[in-house]
Amino acid sequence: MSGENISERSIMVDEYEVRMDLLYTEEHEWVKVEDGNTRVGVTDYAQKSLHEIVYVELPKEGMEVKQMKPMGTAESIKAVSEVYSPISGRVIKINERLRESPELVNESPYDEGWIALIEPSNLDEELKRLLTPKQYANLLRKIIEKK
Amino acid sequence: MQISFGRLSRRNDVKNMKRTVLFSFHEKHGRIGKYAGYEMPLWYKGVISEHMAVRDRVGIFDTSHMGRLLIKGSQAANLLNYISTNNYSQLDVMKAQHAFLCNSRGGVIDDFLAFKLGENEFFLVVNAMNREKDIKWIKENMGSFNVALLDLTEKVPMIAVQGPLSSNALRKIFGDEIVKIKHMWSSWFSFNGVRTLISRTGYTGEDGFELYLLEEEKAFDLWDAIMKAGSEFNIEPCGLAARDTLRLEAGFCLYGNELDEETTPIEAGLKFGVRFDDREFIGKEALLRQVRKGVRKIRVGLRMIERGIPRKGMSILKSGKEIGYVTSGTMSPLLKIGIGMGYVSPEYSRVGDRVKISVRGRLAEAEIVKFPFYDKRQYGRKRETNLKA
Repeated sequence: MSGENISERSIMVDEYEVRMDLLYTEEHEWVKVEDGNTRVGVTDYAQKSLHEIVYVELPKEGMEVKQMKPMGTAESIKAVSEVYSPISGRVIKINERLRESPELVNESPYDEGWIALIEPSNLDEELKRLLTPKQYANLLRKIIEKK
Repeated sequence: MQISFGRLSRRNDVKNMKRTVLFSFHEKHGRIGKYAGYEMPLWYKGVISEHMAVRDRVGIFDTSHMGRLLIKGSQAANLLNYISTNNYSQLDVMKAQHAFLCNSRGGVIDDFLAFKLGENEFFLVVNAMNREKDIKWIKENMGSFNVALLDLTEKVPMIAVQGPLSSNALRKIFGDEIVKIKHMWSSWFSFNGVRTLISRTGYTGEDGFELYLLEEEKAFDLWDAIMKAGSEFNIEPCGLAARDTLRLEAGFCLYGNELDEETTPIEAGLKFGVRFDDREFIGKEALLRQVRKGVRKIRVGLRMIERGIPRKGMSILKSGKEIGYVTSGTMSPLLKIGIGMGYVSPEYSRVGDRVKISVRGRLAEAEIVKFPFYDKRQYGRKRETNLKA
């Protein structure tokens, strides 16, 4: 993974970054497969739409989550958003730093602002239902056009 | 992730939406959303930064979406005395007074501020969402009163300048006379030859002014002049989101949240806008009955003890029993905790009592507190501490 530049690692759709090494939901969550587990969070578009995130209600460790069912919320001053789990399984770790620093989701949505690590229960099947970076970028283009 | 913005919704249906004369500034520098039929700025730099600019220094708001009505004629005061909850006969010229238009049940049709501009002339500032309803209600009840009602909303831009350094900024444009205006009073000024009414009023809890410019075309010049005068104080343009968090921290009601036609000023704890004297006014009987016999619900402040943000519509519980509901809530940018307002049965309204708020199924503990939410010695227009210039 070394030696690549930003343009290979991600693409920009308008002001929104789409990482090439992630899969996406139509509701603006991302998934990264790491050693059989999945790390999940919300996308750059999601954090920019919400603007200043002041509170994240995290799922509990050990909790069972289902693909595209709510697992928590992200709140800005004015808005509340449900965060859907992109994958079914058991929450094995949550990003405790978000309790004190929910703004990490704004500052670093794909890295330090991750939300949970999930041990997937039906990974191969469910990955097929997610969007590739190109498909997600197309979805963003459609959303921007409508604005 | 599904994003719901509530009343301050993002733009999606722009058909038939109104814009204020300053719209091009908002579109260039801010995030636009719709509110009360207007496309308005939700924020520019960010809610927290704008909010803190007003608490610590000075902020400028385009509030031209608010309704501005003029009632004139020999019986103008008599009409207001009859259709509103306050008495306008003894009001001094250039002074402002709060009141409510109530229905016969005492429910609030609208809350407003009225300035007495002359013996037979009153200038009303009403809520944007209620303007047309108010005009209809006033006309229906004008009957035999010798008055004329004029809607000046689209002819008279309104700008609010709020914060502990607001007078420092405005005196550079309008001179020392601006500092002499007392709270809830107004005075006439000239801006580039245009008559401008300036009042020491606001909706943030801080010292501040509201400016009404009698010539629409000069609105940009006035906005720019204030931005320039305020630049040494790091003035920030502020959107509706900060306007909402500021009024909430100050404990002020927002029509549609704390006030509606099923809620009375007595229940909202706003007796200062209701005067019972020997005159008759619409809703008097119902309001008097509540003062004598008590209310079914009363407005309280809620301060979270456990983590979470109260939001409109959430239930308030005590010992597992539902005792009320939340009408407004936010993360307080100043206190950095969840705060809110709501209505509870009077027996559960004691300051210091603990209640639970149902935050999407989780019960989070909150305390009933007094308004404002901040320490009055440190913030707000009566602050004792020196300014952090």
